[in-house]
Amino acid sequence: MKTRGSKWRKSGFHWLLISPSLLFLGLFLVVPFVLLAVLSFRDVDSLMNLLPTYSFAQYKEIFTSDIYLGTIGSTLWVALVTTAICIVLAYPAAYLLVRSPNRKLRTFFYILLVSPLLTSVVIRTFAWIVLLAQNGLVNEFLLKLHLIDQPLSLLWNMKAVIIAYVQVMLPFAVMPIATSLEDIRPNLRQASMSLGAGRIRTFARVTLPLTVPGMISGAAIVFSLAAGSYITPLLVGGRLQPLLPLAIYQQVMQISNLPLAAAMSFTLLILVAVVVGLLGLIMKRWEAKING
Amino acid sequence: MARLPSAGASSGRRRRFSWLTALVWLAGGLVYLFLILPVFVIVLSAFSPEAYPQFPPAGFSLKWFSALLGSREWLDALWISVLLLIIVTPVTVVLGTLAAYAIARLDFRGRQALQSFMLSPLMIPQVVLGIGLLYVFTSTGLVGSLTGLAIGHVIVAFPYVIRSVGVSAANLDPRLEQASMSLGAGRVRTFFRITLPLLKPGIIAGAVFSAVTSFGEVSISLFVSAPSTVTIPVRIFNYIDQTFDPAVNAVSVIFILLAVIALMMIEKVIGLTKVM
Amino acid sequence: MSGIRIQGVSKHFGDNVALKRVDLEIREGEFFSLLGPSGCGKTTLLNMIAGFLEPTAGEIAIGGRDVTWLPPYQRNIGMVFQNYALFPHLNVFENVAYGLKIRKKPRAEIRSRVEESLAAVRLESFAKRMPHQLSGGQQQRVAIARALAIQPAVLLLDEPLSNLDAKLRKEMQTELKNLQRRVGITTVLVTHDQEEALSLSDRIGILGGGELQQLGTPLEVYRRPANRFAAEFIGQVNLIEARPLSDGQPASPGLLLFAAEGFETEPGKPLLLEAANEPSLKRGGPVKLMLRPERIRVSGEPRERGANCARARVADVSYAGNALRITAKLEGSGELVIHAPDPSFPDLPEPGQPLHLRWQPEDLIPLLPEAGRP
Repeated sequence: MKTRGSKWRKSGFHWLLISPSLLFLGLFLVVPFVLLAVLSFRDVDSLMNLLPTYSFAQYKEIFTSDIYLGTIGSTLWVALVTTAICIVLAYPAAYLLVRSPNRKLRTFFYILLVSPLLTSVVIRTFAWIVLLAQNGLVNEFLLKLHLIDQPLSLLWNMKAVIIAYVQVMLPFAVMPIATSLEDIRPNLRQASMSLGAGRIRTFARVTLPLTVPGMISGAAIVFSLAAGSYITPLLVGGRLQPLLPLAIYQQVMQISNLPLAAAMSFTLLILVAVVVGLLGLIMKRWEAKING
Repeated sequence: MARLPSAGASSGRRRRFSWLTALVWLAGGLVYLFLILPVFVIVLSAFSPEAYPQFPPAGFSLKWFSALLGSREWLDALWISVLLLIIVTPVTVVLGTLAAYAIARLDFRGRQALQSFMLSPLMIPQVVLGIGLLYVFTSTGLVGSLTGLAIGHVIVAFPYVIRSVGVSAANLDPRLEQASMSLGAGRVRTFFRITLPLLKPGIIAGAVFSAVTSFGEVSISLFVSAPSTVTIPVRIFNYIDQTFDPAVNAVSVIFILLAVIALMMIEKVIGLTKVM
Repeated sequence: MSGIRIQGVSKHFGDNVALKRVDLEIREGEFFSLLGPSGCGKTTLLNMIAGFLEPTAGEIAIGGRDVTWLPPYQRNIGMVFQNYALFPHLNVFENVAYGLKIRKKPRAEIRSRVEESLAAVRLESFAKRMPHQLSGGQQQRVAIARALAIQPAVLLLDEPLSNLDAKLRKEMQTELKNLQRRVGITTVLVTHDQEEALSLSDRIGILGGGELQQLGTPLEVYRRPANRFAAEFIGQVNLIEARPLSDGQPASPGLLLFAAEGFETEPGKPLLLEAANEPSLKRGGPVKLMLRPERIRVSGEPRERGANCARARVADVSYAGNALRITAKLEGSGELVIHAPDPSFPDLPEPGQPLHLRWQPEDLIPLLPEAGRP
């Protein structure tokens, strides 16, 4: 049993190192979760006070209400559309990043990509308000060029939310796809062309399939971000947008119905988990096919 | 042997130009333009003398920046943000570095799951994190306190440190540590003399991302802060939501500047490609 | 009609001149090797024939058709890469069928051609496997099948066997040669392995410093290297600088007498060389003579004195199983490398052991002073 003992001794040190993090996360991540889950089963009275009883009432309310179901539906829809747009736009951006002829250009693109991520989401969202407001830049521009006579109302709708989402989340799609692109050995492309496939066909048959891992990673990240954002839709779409995270925020901040908010949170969480889990499964199948 | 017919000869140097490549570069360029548009807009607004931005710019003015410096509220928010930064960054970096290194070295079945767990705050909708912490803090009286905010920030910044130190740790050849121990240095000494210095790029990058994340954190802070512990992003949010103060533009410009500087620092010191 | 014609081709990468100027004609059905050290430009040239690079100047034609500006997918080439470049997400069948699918061949034809190609490389039963399930040699064979399935005008191979171990490489070389003979396709092989080039090719083009140093059959290239570069690159060589002796008569007519520089049979007595008289030697100045190590005969007993022989002592011995490589120091000065087949000696020679070396006049090959052209 000597090997067993020394293995434990070796890893004992490492477990020691990781224990503070485990403790911290356990206390401030796992515990709140569990408590939240329990909370979602509590009942409330008409004054939003917590009752000592437990039931499925909150969940029933969510899944029998047309409004809430509609909210869930549009949340999923918005997240899917955002993800799709981000993936499509990510390819040219990733292409530029990977095929830049020199390092300076590549670093430049990289900074363009990553620096917005390091600012706060309020700032990125705020910029869209400045752009799209009645007296914002876009309207100014269009008015100056006499393309319109009245300022357009570009904010306070779902389209504005999606545009803002795409701009905020696009970098998260570009980076994994760029990594995937880079991982493709260059002579796979050459092999395809030597066999008669032009650039477009080579992209469709060789490059694109081989970037599936990056695509899936990017999609997972963007989807979960889009499904869970509330700041952006609040500022750009107005409080009336039917989005689940927004509804949760309002339940907490304005209505103070914590159990309902908790139930909605878990609903959101499960929705995201299902989608991300599905994506993960696809990824696993793909890796098995390529690597065995 | 007859002379080969070659259409290219008469026209001289006929370079093979690809419309497709040009198209892709154009598309990519437009995407990057789209990405940078907000930054451009904010910079424009911050230096514009008017409350609303104009294009072409009507003039150049620094009055919003000086308004910032004169405002009590903004300076208070700055103080809180900086305080949090100073508390959160070291804590996150220490916790995260130890954890990332340990994960890299541990070898057991659940290792992947453990790493996913450490990275999970990234994937959990922040509204859910916010409400969870709010509930716990309300019960324990931490709500609205600096401690509570700090805890929230650490949770959100933690995955970034795990990621960047994780990359460094994965590239760290265990044989170097074995060599050190074979020469007589114990585990702890090896860790401080060999491991840590070699993890430096990841640690620095992790520290920078952690600091930046904390400085810009708003989704959770909105839930767990009180009027006395308002950070800059929360202040920005309130101002956008309720009033319209062009000084927000000035703050934003400063943010963006800090972000770019941070990135350039990392690039100079370590090289961005090694870290992400 | 699918020969390859390379006219006045050069390639510059900014200030870096990868290829100075190459004029070359590869005959239809020929197995042609581009041989040279790394960095000599051979892969660059191959990439230009394939269409992945454009020449800075010059023209390339395949089968009489000017392809200089055509992209690779319009040139009807088949290419095999050093690391196989099999599509990891397609199985063997789909990999081999790839080019045929692009050409929109009917299903039945694709099936039969793929099966044919796989049979040609003896991998019929591997059709459903994924690339990661194949060994290096198997992957390489699939790559060859894939290139041949489209029945291209030319077959281009970029160091295809260098990732294989020695034994497998030899087997693959034989297979490749037989395959090429059967199919009869114009083939260009890029390699730095001179043995490979010598054993497979109908003709070899030796590239060095961005230029063609010699063009010829394996026999020509080995026995009569055009210059020092070619001599040193192919096989091993002893290079002897010598000046002609006007006094002193050679043993037989038709020979010229030279005195070596740097080689002395005894201290003070330069090594005497008799070489066959030929046009390149008529000029009369100092010459460079090449002597292949396997041409030197070794014996334990002294023969006569005179030219083309010397006494020496063993300095170093390397045993390679099938041959001995002996470095011998002449009694006066200078070292010669000798290849003696096994078993030339009952026991391995010891350092310091005396040897008597001898060679024939025709074993001394004069080398041209600069990069000669055939």
